Amino acid sequence: MSQINRLNTGARTDSTSRINFTYNGKQMQGVVGDTLASALLANGVNVVGRSFKYSRPRGIVGHGAEEPNAIMQIGSGAATVPNLKATQVELYEGLESASVNGWPNVNFDLMSITGWFGRMMPPGFYYKTFMYPAKLWMTYEHFIRKAAGLGSAPVQDDPDSYDKLNQHCDVLVVGAGPAGLVAAREAARAGARVIIADEQSEFGGSLLASINSIDGQVATSWVDELVAELESFSNVQTLPRSTAFGYYDHNFLGILQRRTDHLGISADSGSRQRLHRVRAKRVILATGAFERPLVFAQNDIPGVMQASSVSTYINRYGVAPGNRMILFTTNDNAYQTAIDWHRAGRAVVAVVDSRSAPSGEIVAVAQEMGIRVIAGSGVIEAQGGKRVRRALVAPLNGDGTEITGVVEKLACDLIACSGGWSPAIHLSSHTGAKPVWDETIIGFKPGQSVQKERSAGACGGTYSLAGCIAEGASAGAEAAKLAGCGDGTVHFPMPQIKEFSEQPAQALFLVPHTKATSRAPSQFVDMQLDVSASGIELAVREGFKSVEHIKRYTAMGFGTDQGKLGNINGMAILANALGQSIEQTGTTIFRPSYSPTTFGAIAGADVGALFDPERYTAVHRWHQEQGAAFEDVGQWKRPWYFPRGGESMQDAVNRECLAVRNSVGILDASTLGKIDIQGPDAAEFITRMYTNSYLKLAPGKCRYGVMLKEDGMIFDDGVCACIGDNHYLMFTTTGGAAGVLAWLELWQQTEWPDLQVYFTSVTDHWTTATITGPNARKVLAKVCDDIELANDAFQFMDWRDGTVAGVAARVFRISFTGELTYEINVPAHYGRHVWEALIAAGEEFDITPYGTESMHVLRAEKGFIIVGQDTDGSMTPADMNMDWVVGKNKTFSFIGKRSLQRSDSVRKNRKQLVGLKTVNGTQVLPEGAQVVFDPEQKIPMSMQGHVTSSYFSSNLGHSIALAVVKGGHGLLGKTVYCPLADGRTIAAEIVSSVFYDPKGERQNVE
Amino acid sequence: MLLIHCPHCREDREEEEYSYSGEAHIVRPLEPEALSDQEWGDYLFFRKNPKGIHHEMWYHAVGCRRYFYATRNTLSYEIIETYKVGEQPQVSAQGAAQ
Amino acid sequence: MSNNIKQETPLQYFHKLSSHANSQRAELFNGEVEFALVVKEAPISTFLSLRGNGADNAFCAAVAEVLGVPVPTEPGTYHSSKEASIYWLGPDEWMLFSSMDASSLEARLRASLSGHIAIADISGGQTLINLRGDQLALEVVLKKSSVYDFGAWADASANAGRCVQSSFGKASAVVANKSDGSYDLIFRRSYADYIAQWLLHAGEEFGCRIES
Repeated sequence: MSQINRLNTGARTDSTSRINFTYNGKQMQGVVGDTLASALLANGVNVVGRSFKYSRPRGIVGHGAEEPNAIMQIGSGAATVPNLKATQVELYEGLESASVNGWPNVNFDLMSITGWFGRMMPPGFYYKTFMYPAKLWMTYEHFIRKAAGLGSAPVQDDPDSYDKLNQHCDVLVVGAGPAGLVAAREAARAGARVIIADEQSEFGGSLLASINSIDGQVATSWVDELVAELESFSNVQTLPRSTAFGYYDHNFLGILQRRTDHLGISADSGSRQRLHRVRAKRVILATGAFERPLVFAQNDIPGVMQASSVSTYINRYGVAPGNRMILFTTNDNAYQTAIDWHRAGRAVVAVVDSRSAPSGEIVAVAQEMGIRVIAGSGVIEAQGGKRVRRALVAPLNGDGTEITGVVEKLACDLIACSGGWSPAIHLSSHTGAKPVWDETIIGFKPGQSVQKERSAGACGGTYSLAGCIAEGASAGAEAAKLAGCGDGTVHFPMPQIKEFSEQPAQALFLVPHTKATSRAPSQFVDMQLDVSASGIELAVREGFKSVEHIKRYTAMGFGTDQGKLGNINGMAILANALGQSIEQTGTTIFRPSYSPTTFGAIAGADVGALFDPERYTAVHRWHQEQGAAFEDVGQWKRPWYFPRGGESMQDAVNRECLAVRNSVGILDASTLGKIDIQGPDAAEFITRMYTNSYLKLAPGKCRYGVMLKEDGMIFDDGVCACIGDNHYLMFTTTGGAAGVLAWLELWQQTEWPDLQVYFTSVTDHWTTATITGPNARKVLAKVCDDIELANDAFQFMDWRDGTVAGVAARVFRISFTGELTYEINVPAHYGRHVWEALIAAGEEFDITPYGTESMHVLRAEKGFIIVGQDTDGSMTPADMNMDWVVGKNKTFSFIGKRSLQRSDSVRKNRKQLVGLKTVNGTQVLPEGAQVVFDPEQKIPMSMQGHVTSSYFSSNLGHSIALAVVKGGHGLLGKTVYCPLADGRTIAAEIVSSVFYDPKGERQNVE
Repeated sequence: MLLIHCPHCREDREEEEYSYSGEAHIVRPLEPEALSDQEWGDYLFFRKNPKGIHHEMWYHAVGCRRYFYATRNTLSYEIIETYKVGEQPQVSAQGAAQ
Repeated sequence: MSNNIKQETPLQYFHKLSSHANSQRAELFNGEVEFALVVKEAPISTFLSLRGNGADNAFCAAVAEVLGVPVPTEPGTYHSSKEASIYWLGPDEWMLFSSMDASSLEARLRASLSGHIAIADISGGQTLINLRGDQLALEVVLKKSSVYDFGAWADASANAGRCVQSSFGKASAVVANKSDGSYDLIFRRSYADYIAQWLLHAGEEFGCRIES
């Protein structure tokens, strides 16, 4: 196929530089500067897709983000991208494109047989048909998707990379048309930090397709000079190919920049797309306006296009999409398209103007060219199959609601339409500003600003070029001033512009037909979702009144084009059907995103290894070298177990647990939270936070404490050591560290600022090597000669300063296994050295590194709880059988104390911590299993509790579990049952939660 | 995404740096044991959750680690003022302070 | 402590790694490749957390006397000398970075200060890296990494002495500008691997290497 529609006049294309691409497998050529849409039109492609419901052939209608039909799949394989608008895809060598719908292909579509089937899909089809039976949804969905086609997502990982920039500026200008460009220039001159973004490949907006002259030069040269000037400012960032897709609170906007899409898929360097997260002091919205289509019968046949788009294809891209054009307009502005078409050397069949007596300057210009103007008439129907063949034109009454005469048939292959303009109020709408209807522009304008923004130019309803430039300039100067730059006066002189003065346009939202709307051929409002005027009227007959409900019932505006073209017509048709004004009917509220945004860009760099920070201890690489399996604990990676040879996890854990109880094990406990607490009121403060008292804790001593929230429920636990006078070190759980620090700060800063105490996180400072087991003392003695380690000299719950493996260390004698334990703390850059010294010292005792799984088993054997595993934010110390940790005689009512007396806290049948011993000791209960008393009870059974921790204990030779059971402390010896999802029911006996060494003698081994 | 002025850093900083900490100016009863379950429950569980002007606590977690107060319109999300612990708001639901 | 005791800096295992083309961290530093960004980790140094009343002249004077550097009381600023830097972190919180020995520095401070103060040695838990290179590359990498508006510091060379604690990727860091246009970053040890990978990724488009 050759470029039959290519002209040599495109201002922004170079018709001598060819680009090869494929469309649905066919080789085609475009030129440098083309979009995929302009190249397809140049090649005479009529049908680019099939419609969503009725499978009607559809052609290109627009030239930008508003395009409803030309939805393309670009590329193939892992880097394929579905659902791009051909009007926004810049052509590059080798581009592969395919239409996303139409089966088996867009030109021969089996589904179109079901124009009948389509008749069976009225508005609300989804709600009416798919409610019941639910099972059939999958079947329906499969069929609908195939029929409708929404492109196919790649199944492989995205090979491209994405990133985000956090941007801050004084003035953000969205849109680089005439208003935006001059706004940015004024703001920049005033010294403001300016960002100007535009979704198109180059700046200029409507001027890129304009043949107007500005200051005596063609508009495009004026744009080039202005852009060059902007780029010369060091305080201006220019972002082409960048769509502001969302306007959020406090002047925060998301802008998606397509950096390499125009170079081809998977360009080699840098990110494909970049998400700019912009915080702006002031925002100027200069997003322009969309031309409003005209709604007449079969207005969806390929060859019906937007008038401004036809002009854009001619003037910017050098493409005339047809031969014989009819222009159908309600306003002066669109006459330019007839003039452009005429100048391109193609035939203007007629201008059909709905107004009875069009009299603008430009009308006269067109008539002088010999163009026939049919006034007071409308195109009431397009006819043709895969391309328009003729238009039916009929005279209309003064307000365009009735046909008043004979229908004339005019042969043509292009109908360019203009129903006036609709301001692109989307971003202003995101802020919550309520759009207001303006009769003079026949459109919704941005409402009263609720954020620090203003609209300038066409998006505010100002359509003349001179008006846009004047408004942009003053908006730019004003925004800069409000951001603290300049005095608000416009610096640059207003350029000289020659424009036609325009006569008023006519409001025409639905062109009448000889048949009633319900019987006329479909008059489409939303092409992408096949919403017709009759569908909206039907929805009203079915009782819908609110514009928001109609939107959801008919799906109007739900497509990837978000109703940029159809919405106003749809609302006007709705208003008419409801017998009320457009103002009364109102508009739907636009929400982000303005246009589709890739998930890749939203994720940015936060994927793969950077998805979430992985925190490592100073011994991490040693663990890796030993082949440890790792477990996530918060953001930390902790060794889970250390398999040797081909050991299974259970085998490794069995071995590690036996080694600890029989000789010695070593655990990396560096991840435990550590908070340094200093100040004259430190002891008082700590005592208010824990359930027990620290007022008499002497230097060198440690105490285990439990922290409650004010509701009396356990929130964290750990050991707190007195380091010196007014100086303490608090250990927290690994996952709770940041939360506990914030909790302490909260109370000190907001409730008791009079208490003199400071908190500092020292978690990362220390590497903690825990050696535990009957041989722990012997190991430590080999690398430490300045601490007296004898049982009575260095007692349980003591700590000592000393030197371990040549490094100054703090050694704590505390225990989470029940065995003799030393927790050796050294500054982390010595961590690996000390760790390896302990491993070497322990070699003769076969010191065994163990991970969190064995740690869990060993502590469960002792009945020690893990906060967050055995508790869930609804457990009191009494529930955990830990009344001993609650100070009864503390003078200050510590945090949570009062709640322990609440009626619910003292209830007898609260879930209480117990041990469970399965009747068959080889069976290990699943954690989370529900506990019932009567296994024969019918479903739903009365659930009495659940298993919180469960393991096989190699030391005991049978499984052990901890559970919380209603009234469990009084049920020792009772047999309970755990019905499992796999149909088994496991019987277990309620036992003490301390399975091993109940007297706690082992930690005092000599 | 809110932009919040930290009264200690004396800068507008992004919401990501802060964590929200609930209603401000709730004073802990001096003698919790003297309260009935209902009175204690009111202190513990009940919050104003107003539509409009709200005084609340924020924690500059990734910043100066200070708690401070903000007067925020829960309808518009406008933050009318931020102020340090120990200070009183200039704006309240009853109107601006004199 | 004897000198033959092995110490490891938090970024030890990243020294000499670079981003190079798309190979990210895997590629060893190759001297022939242009790198617009260079990361250099400071040797093991002293970091102390200092708490106290910045409005107390005696406190400020005592600290300045020991460190040889005045205490910054203006939010978001730091002061430094050849031997020590002191960063404002909060109205009653500073971070000291110094080549002086941690325990003797702490002891000297404690001896000079009175009243309600706190000093905590956090040397093992922090690292300082210097990020230098092309100005545009620095600007873009900081914008990728942090929500803070570093642009508000304007010309770095004219306004050295600013610092901020803010987000860095999904972690956090103290970032300070230097008179030579480079930046110092201080962050926690456990996040070092993440931040190193983050920087190599963020700097990939410019070429980024980590010096030993």
